[in-house]
Amino acid sequence: MKVPVSERTELENRILAWMRDPCWSSDETRFNELALELFALQYAQCEPYRRFCAARRRSPGKVAHWSEIPPVPTGAFKEFSLCCFPPHTAQRIFRTSGTSTQQRGALYLDTLTLYEASLLASFTRCVLPDLLPHELMTFLILAPSGEEAPDSSLSYMLDVVVRKKGTQHSGFFVRSGKLYGEELLAVLERTANAGEAVTLCGTAFAFMHWLDGCVRKAARLALPIASRIMETGGFKGRSRELPRSEFYALLEEFTGISRGHIINQYGMTELGSQFYDSNLRYPGLRRRKLAPPWTRLRFLDTTLENEVAEGETGIIAIYDLANTGSVFAVQTADVGRRVETGFEIFGREVSAEERGCSIAADAMLAD
Amino acid sequence: MLSPVASVPIVEPHPEAIRAALEQLRNTGAVLRQCPARPRLTRLASLLDGWADPNSPWRRRLLSALPATTGFAPAAVATGLELALKKWNGAALFDLVEREFADPTACDGEDTFSARGFPVTAVSLAGCLPTPTLWNLLAPLVLGSPVLVKPSRGDPITAELVAASITELDPELGNCIRIVPFPSSDAPSTHAFLSADCVVATGSDATLRAICARVTPPQRLIAYGHRLSLTVLGPQALRGEALTRTAEATAVDVALWDQLGCLSSIAVYTVGTEKEAGVFAEALAASLTAAEKRWPRGPLPDSARAAFAHERALAEMRAAADPAVQMFEDPASRWVVVCEADGRFRPAPLYRFVRVHPVHNLAALADALSPVRSHLAAIAAAGFGPDTSRATRLLGELGASRICPPGHLQAPSLGWHHDGQPVLLPLARLTDNELS
Repeated sequence: MKVPVSERTELENRILAWMRDPCWSSDETRFNELALELFALQYAQCEPYRRFCAARRRSPGKVAHWSEIPPVPTGAFKEFSLCCFPPHTAQRIFRTSGTSTQQRGALYLDTLTLYEASLLASFTRCVLPDLLPHELMTFLILAPSGEEAPDSSLSYMLDVVVRKKGTQHSGFFVRSGKLYGEELLAVLERTANAGEAVTLCGTAFAFMHWLDGCVRKAARLALPIASRIMETGGFKGRSRELPRSEFYALLEEFTGISRGHIINQYGMTELGSQFYDSNLRYPGLRRRKLAPPWTRLRFLDTTLENEVAEGETGIIAIYDLANTGSVFAVQTADVGRRVETGFEIFGREVSAEERGCSIAADAMLAD
Repeated sequence: MLSPVASVPIVEPHPEAIRAALEQLRNTGAVLRQCPARPRLTRLASLLDGWADPNSPWRRRLLSALPATTGFAPAAVATGLELALKKWNGAALFDLVEREFADPTACDGEDTFSARGFPVTAVSLAGCLPTPTLWNLLAPLVLGSPVLVKPSRGDPITAELVAASITELDPELGNCIRIVPFPSSDAPSTHAFLSADCVVATGSDATLRAICARVTPPQRLIAYGHRLSLTVLGPQALRGEALTRTAEATAVDVALWDQLGCLSSIAVYTVGTEKEAGVFAEALAASLTAAEKRWPRGPLPDSARAAFAHERALAEMRAAADPAVQMFEDPASRWVVVCEADGRFRPAPLYRFVRVHPVHNLAALADALSPVRSHLAAIAAAGFGPDTSRATRLLGELGASRICPPGHLQAPSLGWHHDGQPVLLPLARLTDNELS
């Protein structure tokens, strides 16, 4: 079934308008309308998704509320080309991490407009809430640039942030697969002396690697008070695993950036939107992840049919209107719970030790 | 009413306390190794006889405590222990010592060939299965090496109960065991713990790589990586009465310990047609329904719950797209059987999630298993009739360190060459005496 291009463009324009609205109002009616229209479009355009929905006896005519829309497991992005347009017309393909022998998940994008609008809105609101619209920030990034890692959604995201909000001193410190830790240290020492606040961004594992170097050199920094850190990802499958509280204590010790200025991003390649800790946006209040208004989360029991009771932990399903060209309802392999106006996630740091001497074969295949 | 257990020294989780305990154990071990080996072996053999008896107070204590700490159903623990321990008796211990050292007196160090334990052995446990804990504590003592044990997060009680049973039987031997619980993220304590003369560690490949970097010669490291086990069925196991029997036995291999042990089957390969695989998958689903009634699955930790649900949903989506993929599941999602269209190995979230793959012949099986061959532990095999020896040779070539009938995966003998290694020899310092 073909959906006219104009229909999708019109829908995207309405979603875009919401993303560009600085109010961030969580309008349930607005979300439901857009979600049902997007479901109808994706059901019509994406064959594997349509079959999945049919097996669950869900179709646009039978669904009255967004929460009834079946979410696809993230692993489906490895198995199927989940896109609502011919894959060869994709402007960009972001792939999940993995070795060359592994099957990697792919998010196909035929437009980057929504992707950029979503990421900038969330990033500026949650990571840079104290910056005036015209103000810029120096971003020092422990990840490769988008040019170096064209299929990394994180690198693309950070590229956009640097392009739109970064000073000329911003830079990427992972090049040709190598972390230039000493160079980063030297830049930080200079900025610290100049009293210039910076934002350090990168994966948790890259930060750990860098901190190991700081320990060896006995380097301690006292970065200006407005400096901050945005870290993402976990330690799963790495030889060194660290509870987040200990990780933040180390970051605080070596950079001088207080844990109130360290925030975690929860994101995944399969989604167009990201979720950030609330502590910079709402200092002093309980730390939780904030969801932009064009997203919704459900916390499901193991049958994946029902939501768990309020406050209980459930399997996270995310409905993200930024995913117009693929499937916007995604079931993650993460567990979390609703907290006040946001949510918490659990389980991304759990060591394999708990699981016995047998290990999930996906971990073995990743070796 | 069970009598209270003997007290076991618990070491404070602090680097200095751990180093002090190691030193103390070295001194105790020196005294232990002065005594003849045979009486020590006899005491350890009688300890195993005690653990092999379902009515022994130690078994009953473990049975009453383990379900609460690990979440395994009491009936599953009882069956699992019975299956695993019935062959682990004193006679089996003597057989093992004779197989590896020819004579128990080799442990006395006075013959042409002698084997001595290290001054002290540190044992880092993983997972939540009790039987590897029992053996890992006992084995160094066979050679006269005292043991410092780090229990796993998943099972904080078995090590203490085993140590207490040794103390009850022989306080002198019991004095050669110390327990030190600390999290793996405690780097200073880990560093101190790994300074033992011999280290036995179980864990993921990443964990073992990290330990390997810290334990260097002349220290000895005996590492057991994470492994998986499988079931391979020939045509004769897929037909007639054998079909139900094999499905029931395979359900035991899947259900006991909720696939958390390296000897749990996580996939079944059927050598035959796709239709035969589908029939077996259905029979296995029926057997898992019965197994769930007898041995209900334990609760899933958060991360496992999400991984299980994710794989289930993915199988559902693949089944919707491809009629050759079939999914059978419990209404409450307490087990899942996925009959795959091909032999390609796929992720296994454990907790009673099992895949059935058809392969046309043994050569295709070898291809299908090539991505995981370095991680293979045991293979349950049946139904090959006159081709059995050809099949077992191939399975050995693939890297399995044990081949057994379905239903027996969780019951290795004491002499099983875990990871293809000798059992006691790696724990020993060997001397060839050419003067005697």
